[in-house]
Amino acid sequence: MESASVTLGHATGDHHHGPPEANKSSKVDQTTLGLLIFLVTEAMLFGAFFASYFFLRVVVNDGPWPPEPYELPVIVAGVNTAILVSSSFSIHWALEGIRRGNRKAATLAMAVTWLLGATFLFIQLNEYIHVGFSARDGAFGSIFYGLTGLHGAHVIVGLILLTIVNVRLWRGHFGPKAEDHRGLELPGIYWHFVDVMWVIVFVTVYIL
Amino acid sequence: MPVALKQAGWWRALYGLVIGAAFGYGLVVALRAASGLPLIQTEQTGYPQLVVALITGPLGFLWGIGCFDYWLRWIAGGPTVPDDHADHGAKNWKDYFKVNTDHKVIGIQYMVLTFFFFLVGGLAAMGVRAELAQPGTQIVDPNTYNGLFSTHAAFMIFVFIIPMFAGIANYVLPLMIGAPDMAFPRLNALSFWLLPCAGALLMASYFAPGGTFDAGWTGYAPLSTGAPIGQSFFNLAVQFAGASSIATAINFLVTIVTMRAPGMNFWRMPLLVWANLSTSLLVVAATPFIAGVQFMVLFDRVLNTNFFEAAMGGDVISYQHIFWFYSHPAVYIMMLPGFGIISEVISTHARKPVFGYRLMALALIGIVVLSYSVWAHHMFVSGMSSWLRVPMMITTLLIAVPTGIKIFSWLGTLFKGKIHLQSTAMLFSLGFIFTFVIGGISGVMLGMVPLDIHVSDTYFVVAHIHFVLFGGSVFTIFAGLYHWFPKITGRMYDERLGRVHFWMTLAGMLGTFIPMHWIGLEGMPRRVADYSAEFAAWNLEITIASAILGLAQLVFVYNVVVSWKYGPKASANPWRANTIEWLVSSPPPVFNFDEIPRVVGGPYEFGVPGARHAILAGDDKATVEQPKPATVGSVGSST
Repeated sequence: MESASVTLGHATGDHHHGPPEANKSSKVDQTTLGLLIFLVTEAMLFGAFFASYFFLRVVVNDGPWPPEPYELPVIVAGVNTAILVSSSFSIHWALEGIRRGNRKAATLAMAVTWLLGATFLFIQLNEYIHVGFSARDGAFGSIFYGLTGLHGAHVIVGLILLTIVNVRLWRGHFGPKAEDHRGLELPGIYWHFVDVMWVIVFVTVYIL
Repeated sequence: MPVALKQAGWWRALYGLVIGAAFGYGLVVALRAASGLPLIQTEQTGYPQLVVALITGPLGFLWGIGCFDYWLRWIAGGPTVPDDHADHGAKNWKDYFKVNTDHKVIGIQYMVLTFFFFLVGGLAAMGVRAELAQPGTQIVDPNTYNGLFSTHAAFMIFVFIIPMFAGIANYVLPLMIGAPDMAFPRLNALSFWLLPCAGALLMASYFAPGGTFDAGWTGYAPLSTGAPIGQSFFNLAVQFAGASSIATAINFLVTIVTMRAPGMNFWRMPLLVWANLSTSLLVVAATPFIAGVQFMVLFDRVLNTNFFEAAMGGDVISYQHIFWFYSHPAVYIMMLPGFGIISEVISTHARKPVFGYRLMALALIGIVVLSYSVWAHHMFVSGMSSWLRVPMMITTLLIAVPTGIKIFSWLGTLFKGKIHLQSTAMLFSLGFIFTFVIGGISGVMLGMVPLDIHVSDTYFVVAHIHFVLFGGSVFTIFAGLYHWFPKITGRMYDERLGRVHFWMTLAGMLGTFIPMHWIGLEGMPRRVADYSAEFAAWNLEITIASAILGLAQLVFVYNVVVSWKYGPKASANPWRANTIEWLVSSPPPVFNFDEIPRVVGGPYEFGVPGARHAILAGDDKATVEQPKPATVGSVGSST
């Protein structure tokens, strides 16, 4: 978004006062590439917590996991997973909608996505309240809250982004051309990442 | 609101800092009140109200100074002010204290600020050496001593070497690839302004109750999880410096991929660009690990979690694994950009093409890949699983192969070249090869498990790290600063003073760090304020040599300050180099180029008649109108 506005500004503005337009040595959009690299960074941040999880569960733990008497609500978390995964489909629906110029579909789908995300967060917080242990209850509690909490923080950031997208959709900011709906596509990529990360967290923490 | 607070700047930054810190403090107190806890917690490690304020305060500062203005307007859906480039370039010294999106201004901001941190870290080192001049306790008590060596390393690593390379590349790299700026100029500005936050946190830790952090720059748990509040300053400073580093790396990667001048394919990129490409790959994938592990330490300290609390099922060794999974690649983050600088300097000042250019680039990528597989060689005596030792030893020794390729390529470049020994940049490059080979060989020695067990935590390790970080990284930084000084300032520096600086630095460096190998082998432990009397003679010698080393840097400061103001004007290309940054005036025009240059050949075609790396729009016409004997077309036939 930012780079696009910079270059567009030059093309239309006073040509003598401004830098020359940069050569495009790649077809990839700059902001998309920047976001993808940032997601590599994010994945590695999760990687640090997964590494810690591995050490705590496999290397130093010699008892049942989760340790007695704790139990994880696998069914609730499973339903929650389904909710979050379905939001990935609805945000894709929103993107397809705006691509085909169907703003109504996009607005509806984006609102659905936001609601699904908020529901996920609500159920997750509810689980924290009822799960019966805290982050101070042994290394198990620490890494459980560490991993799910890190993911929860990403959901919160994602929801903030989706809120902005929703507002901009209502205001009619987006159009069918690729550069006119990048502000919807990029938060979408981030949201997909948050979903995929949750599936990995869910499988590791609840199932395995 | 008064006008001063509406406009981005230092007044609003001060206001933002205070408001941000007060908000963080109040938030914690309110949450504690809501949970029925005592409002203020002053346990030795905890202080949540202070820790949160240390996060929100700097964020308020960044808002106040103006890093977020454009984004906030954009998010709010308000009209974003179209960039009229009024803030491009710096008209006077005050402009360097404002948020600026010009990569050249940001580059200078980076270099000056990080050099300031270099002097601060150097003062800490002088304190360490003063205490060690004689056995026994003279100047500082052991706890203060621990703080001194910890802050010394933290300053040098997190806010000097890593960001200094980012600063040099920030200035040079967009020019080198023919780009008008970085891909994300506003993100670039934010990257810079995160650094004063990190540095200020490190300095502020001296005033924390219980003193500054003293668990070393490695901050091993459980030493760090039980340390006084100063340790939290370190945890947070690393987060700010790490965020800066990651943002810059993303910026470099996108810039290099999408903004190269026409004709500059990957095999025509100067090696400095290759070096920063590979460094950035390391940063984006490794830095999150130190962010993650410092978060865990912070949680253990403030929230009483049990990541590293063995009695509660935590794993102390996991700290070292996760930490070194970042911090081993980090030594290459601190070295690869230097490799790039050296390639530029040696090729230019020896008037020779880089020997084995493609292999040089591939060796960089090889180091990137290998560096992820060696982290546990820092942990041979930690009590980790013993089966990890031999694989880690083998991969560690393997890294010597791509590094050796680079050393021999530099030697091949120098071979039969016209070596300009008058040039300080060249002297530092030659000095670098000499000291880095020594540091590299002691690195291979340390990579071998039996020897490592013998010298673990002795001065041998201190000698090794200073040979690679001082003899390696810092020498390359000086080579780069001297090489691009005329380009950056538009003035020539005093070569005579430069040579004085080099020889004093080299003599001081060798005098300081060579004896450390010997006393290390004999078993003098590192990170201890006192030592056995048998090491007294060498330690006195080391302290004297380190004073020479410290004084030498004042020569550099004097040379830079005076030359920047009064030095003779520099021409566009005083070294007759080929890369694009030398095609434009010194200092470069505000927008770098009138038109994007065209790249027509490799960057190091020294001695090839008529060969050119790039053509500016103006040159093009000149060539067409007045054909000279050696033109671009004749390259093939004349070689």
